[in-house]
Amino acid sequence: MATRRILYFTAEDHYLYRSAGAGLELETKFSGDDLGVTAFREHLRGLKGELFCVLVDVAGEDFHEDQIPFLRGGDREAVLQRRLAQRYRDTRLAAALSLGYVAGTRRNERLLLASFTNTQQLAPWLDALEEAGTKLTGVYSVPLLAPALARKLGAKAGRAFVVTINRAGLRQCFIEAGRLRFARLERTVDMVPQALAIFVRSEMLRLAQYLGTLRVLPREGPPVQVFVVAPRAQRSTFEQALVSDARLVFHTVDEGEALRSVGVRRAPERILGEALYLHLAAKKPPREQFASSAERRRYQVWQLQRGIVAAGALGFAACALYAGVQWVDALQVHGRAASQQRDARLAAAQYERITAGFPVTQTSTENLKVAVVEFRRIAERSASPEQAFVHVSRVLEQFPQIELDSFNWGVGRPDARRDRPAGAPPDAAAAKPGQGNAAETLELSGRVNATQRNDYRAITAQVQRFAAALGASQGYELVRTQLPFDITSEGTLTGDIGGGSAESGEAPRFTVTLARRLP
Amino acid sequence: MTLTREELRKLLLPGLAALALVAAGAGLVWGAQQSVRSAQLRLAAAEADRRESTERLTRIAEEEREVKEKLDVYQQLKQLNILGEEHRLEWADAITRIRTQRELLDLRYRVDRQKLLISAPGKPANVDFYASTMKVELALLHEEDLLRFLADLRASGNAYYSVKQCLITRTGQAATGASIVPRLRADCEIDLITIIDRAAKR
Repeated sequence: MATRRILYFTAEDHYLYRSAGAGLELETKFSGDDLGVTAFREHLRGLKGELFCVLVDVAGEDFHEDQIPFLRGGDREAVLQRRLAQRYRDTRLAAALSLGYVAGTRRNERLLLASFTNTQQLAPWLDALEEAGTKLTGVYSVPLLAPALARKLGAKAGRAFVVTINRAGLRQCFIEAGRLRFARLERTVDMVPQALAIFVRSEMLRLAQYLGTLRVLPREGPPVQVFVVAPRAQRSTFEQALVSDARLVFHTVDEGEALRSVGVRRAPERILGEALYLHLAAKKPPREQFASSAERRRYQVWQLQRGIVAAGALGFAACALYAGVQWVDALQVHGRAASQQRDARLAAAQYERITAGFPVTQTSTENLKVAVVEFRRIAERSASPEQAFVHVSRVLEQFPQIELDSFNWGVGRPDARRDRPAGAPPDAAAAKPGQGNAAETLELSGRVNATQRNDYRAITAQVQRFAAALGASQGYELVRTQLPFDITSEGTLTGDIGGGSAESGEAPRFTVTLARRLP
Repeated sequence: MTLTREELRKLLLPGLAALALVAAGAGLVWGAQQSVRSAQLRLAAAEADRRESTERLTRIAEEEREVKEKLDVYQQLKQLNILGEEHRLEWADAITRIRTQRELLDLRYRVDRQKLLISAPGKPANVDFYASTMKVELALLHEEDLLRFLADLRASGNAYYSVKQCLITRTGQAATGASIVPRLRADCEIDLITIIDRAAKR
């Protein structure tokens, strides 16, 4: 928290306090004449850029209630400035405090116009602050801080008086619905506590009567609460003197207790009730104050600087919070992963323990399995020609007129060409899913004996029967049959009828191709 | 509130500080997200590992039976010298012995260079299957000669004999009576397969 300095401005002397944390210290004191201003300028020489505010506690403060139409933004500001200019000759230190809106169709805004009757006494001090390059946070009068003090002292909604005995004199502030309505400062002279308490009571009765005359305080109605801050060790004396009646109910608060209520932990020994206002001006200043925007420019820029950094810090904090949640998630996931790894290691160790009792192998278990499985796969895809020989021999026994010239056996991909009628569905065996592509193929070439060369029909029929017998058992399928004569529409059919060459020529040759799928 | 150039200059440093803070925050978020992603990947891998280990453990009885059964085959492959380096001299000896024993008329063969057939992934090393193709030309009196030759070859061991092709044709030579004339001729291609287990103990 930045250190703030508060210039407590009274009609006689001015006091410069320093507020840091919950503490309040008197830095120095200046006389109210020109010598004081010169000393103040000297003092400010090393305080360029420091935060300052001015708390004015003088008797010449004017309060005037007024109304303006319901307006917002620039229009409202312009009307306020005009009203202040109409009311006060010097508007450098003038403020308009909103008192709410009048119930009704027009909704006029009620205002309390406030200023000092003699602003000239403040001008050289404000100029000194400006020239020194300090940051002026605001110019407050004690009454502007009275609503905040009333809340701290326990004043609820309604009407209340806050009475303090300050260095400047007896300060009485009238608060209505949490807003300042009136205030006055009555000078005090040194007097014994009992006399002071009686003076407080008489002044309160006078003020209540005055406000009643102005109709600010209604003649009939509930009693008004009066919160009196009694100087240290004088509470009992005040309580005896401040007797409540039908109009005023007094609540005496010890100064030390009041200081604790507003948050002051350390304060100078000889300070009076102004300590309460000084602390509130430093820590909880109200929006309403007397300095113009131009006089507070440095402070506003400083606020902007801090706002920007605060926004950045807020962004960082939000990111850090989100990242923190993510890190927690990551840690949890890491924990789960570690647990899974531990389980896996335990299972693997248990597996190793059990497999240690397996038969001794000359290789790893994995390689043992791979070697045997792969070898079996190769063996299943291998074949031997013995079965083909046996199959062909058995079929040949049924066809004595057929003689083979060549027997070509092999293992490989089956021939795509197959003997099947046009338009017939594809061979289901050729496209069974899950089966390998390897097949045993057998190509037989031979001749048909003991049949007339020109008996095409008989030769063709014998070859077709032979081929059908080969493809009918032992898992063999007929892939292709090449007949001695091309009887298809695409081929050429030749003949030599009656020429005699048919009898003397070679027997008609044919080729039959078979396939058997391997697992 | 309209700001002057001087005031804007005063806001520059806080602006940069705010940007740096936001950037640092974004960096934290990015780092955290990376950490979450990496943790999730690690978790997925660990879960898969645990699942696999647990499944292996539950299948261990079956695996023991499987190992025993496969071990028999593995030992047979080793005894037959199918598992291990090639024994080309033994192949040549075996063919010569078969020709003599079976009184084959003519027998010519050529064994090509070895080639890799399959490299099966194992643990801790692969199991490689090699094949050397042997081309054999045989003069036969009867087709039974070929079948006996193939059977003798298989029985000789030292490789797994996978017959790829056999073409048997008639020689067309007429019998003279004075000498034995081959009636058939066989041309065969046989793969001589051997297995190298890289993880096997010597």
